Amino acid sequence: MANLNTDSIKDRTFDAIVIGSGMSGGWAAKELTGKGLKTLMLERGRDVKHIKDYPTTNMYPWEFEHRGEMPMAVQEANPIVNRCYAFHEDAAHFFVKDKEHPYIQDKPFDWIRGYQVGGKSLLWARQTQRWSDFDFEGPARDGFAVDWPIRYQDIAPWYSYVEKFAGISGNKDGLAELPDGEFLPAFPLNSVEQYFSKHVKSKYGRHVISARCAHLSKPNQIHLDQGRAQCQERILCQRGCPFGGYFSANASTIPWALKSGNLTLRPHSVVESIIYDDKKGKATGVRVVDANTKETIEYYAKIIFVNAAAMNTNLVLLNSTSHRFPNGLGNDSGVLGKYVAFHNYSAHISAQYDGMLEWTTDGRNPAGGGYIPRFRNLHKQETDFLRGYASGFSAYRWKQQNWDGVGSDFKDNLAKGELSPWHVGSHMMGETIPKEASYVKLDDKLKDEWGVPLLKISMDYDDNDAKMKKDYIEQLTEMFTSAGFTNIKAESDNRAPGLDIHEMGGARMGNDPKTSVLNKWNQMHAVNNVFVTDGASMTSTSCQNPSLTYMAFTACSADYAVSEMKKGNI
Amino acid sequence: MHRRIAIKNLALIIGGAALLPSCVHENGKASVKLTNLNISADQEKLIGDMAETIIPKTSTPGAKDLQLHLFVLKMVDDCATKKDQQAFMTGIGQFNDYVRKRYSNSFSDCTVKQREQILLNIEKDKDPKSSTYSAELKTFYGAVKGQTVNGYTTSKYFMTKQVVYELVPGRYNAFYPVKQKQTA
Repeated sequence: MANLNTDSIKDRTFDAIVIGSGMSGGWAAKELTGKGLKTLMLERGRDVKHIKDYPTTNMYPWEFEHRGEMPMAVQEANPIVNRCYAFHEDAAHFFVKDKEHPYIQDKPFDWIRGYQVGGKSLLWARQTQRWSDFDFEGPARDGFAVDWPIRYQDIAPWYSYVEKFAGISGNKDGLAELPDGEFLPAFPLNSVEQYFSKHVKSKYGRHVISARCAHLSKPNQIHLDQGRAQCQERILCQRGCPFGGYFSANASTIPWALKSGNLTLRPHSVVESIIYDDKKGKATGVRVVDANTKETIEYYAKIIFVNAAAMNTNLVLLNSTSHRFPNGLGNDSGVLGKYVAFHNYSAHISAQYDGMLEWTTDGRNPAGGGYIPRFRNLHKQETDFLRGYASGFSAYRWKQQNWDGVGSDFKDNLAKGELSPWHVGSHMMGETIPKEASYVKLDDKLKDEWGVPLLKISMDYDDNDAKMKKDYIEQLTEMFTSAGFTNIKAESDNRAPGLDIHEMGGARMGNDPKTSVLNKWNQMHAVNNVFVTDGASMTSTSCQNPSLTYMAFTACSADYAVSEMKKGNI
Repeated sequence: MHRRIAIKNLALIIGGAALLPSCVHENGKASVKLTNLNISADQEKLIGDMAETIIPKTSTPGAKDLQLHLFVLKMVDDCATKKDQQAFMTGIGQFNDYVRKRYSNSFSDCTVKQREQILLNIEKDKDPKSSTYSAELKTFYGAVKGQTVNGYTTSKYFMTKQVVYELVPGRYNAFYPVKQKQTA
């Protein structure tokens, strides 16, 4: 028996464990296996194999029972996930349903989750901008959170590294606030987007650029080597792409890691906690509950990457208690679970433009149109609120069908249609300030069916967010008006935080172990073989989309971790 | 209609019908399995005739060919709120009563011209406090009209023969002359 046990422990021992298989977990697995580490990747949900497990990907609109609409019974049973823009008949199977995984909203929070191999990287909106020193120096300059322990130049090479592999389309726009990257050709602005771009540049000195996105507009050899092909402009990405036209863990990093022969992928594995050995002063492994059998199994490794997605990474760390860390792993500072934040997406604006009628577009734009980088409080504080916002901008025309009437003429006209005038739209993407009062914590009593405490979430908009939203509406209205747009309608909604799906923080990076959980390598100050490289590690939120930065942090951190292992420091 | 086109259309319809009627047609019951709505065969026929009035068979398939009335029932049954489903059921009765009173005939026995006029009159009455049509009748008509047109414009027939939906290969031309689009 003793031998059997030894063998069993040997079978459950790896060089590295990666918790989570999404945007950042996939990168951790790719990097660690690429450096020769036998790596175990744990995913709490089911496996989703590239192409094979995209059941709706090649379906035509008429093949959906309700033409995409969710049945009312499903909508009513899922008020939270039903608010997500992508929760439709073609992708609903990639979303967590409300009742499957309950959590506690100390304040309203729409927690949108994808529990499967690949996580939300299957579902994301694929917008990828670098962060700049206007972001990394933000907390220090404006006096909130703590100073980032890194600057742009520290992470810039790693942005390049991940961009080349993931495939990012964009233009070299030469903007300090949105540094250029290793780009594939951009998806161009259309006539009205370009008109607006020129107008706001000459009148305001502001920029409207082609949205940068993780699509293979023109694949390089490295992308073909991954088995991916050129983006076909289907814009059905949320179904999973059979061409691998956009970056997902399923299409890119995970198959790459598997090809190395060093990856063991274990789906249906709910991580209950990370095991800390008081004597060794290290984390020695993780405790997993098999999602189906509910059996508890321990896995061991020299290093552990925590990539469970921001909120769940906090949950795992808070639930990893020991004699040394009674309040959660690496939580000497007491800030673990605090200073969480999100992006403010609660305003948008639409209008019409009666010019450029000689132009339209043909086909579909996977980038979605234009992107207006942050222009507020960039070089100096100039408003009564801190930080700023980026904005989407797109212009479009469509064939209008006249739905008034009945009979044969009516029927014929449905097929003809008439081209609409140009419509334009913008949405706000605002930075929010991480605050001590914003938190996630574990419920004292309630547990899920795998014995893991339920997460309590509490974050909310504040006065700064309200002022920033007012400014977004004023500025965009003015820019639209001066461009000659008409019928301008600004709309502010009262969505809860969470629908932006950019929740961040809780295990933030910082220079000082007394006020942060991670150092500049995303390594725990107090446990040097645990690395957190997903959204939980973010010190502040910027207003750029965060995924590309998670990828860069992960690759950088994995490189550091392995070199430290080789030096014998871990 | 040319025979060849007719055969082609028939093939399309058979190939494209997502909602085949169930095999056993119980007497007096609707031919499609429904969970929330209790629809009689007569009511199904009425909705079929309304749909056919909206999207009639011409040289191309009409609502009945494309089984659009069954799509209407499916959508109302699965995707409408309880409140709208109740209004839908009340509205059917009120619609029948209204047509009989006004035309001394059932909708199905009215001429095509009369049928079109009946539907257009309801559609044109935008007054929310209409004295002629109850809110339920309007909900009923709105659902039949909306889902008939939805079903038609998203049918395989329409999306392969009228306004062609292209899955792949894709393209994006950001500057495309309208003139070219019109002749395309």
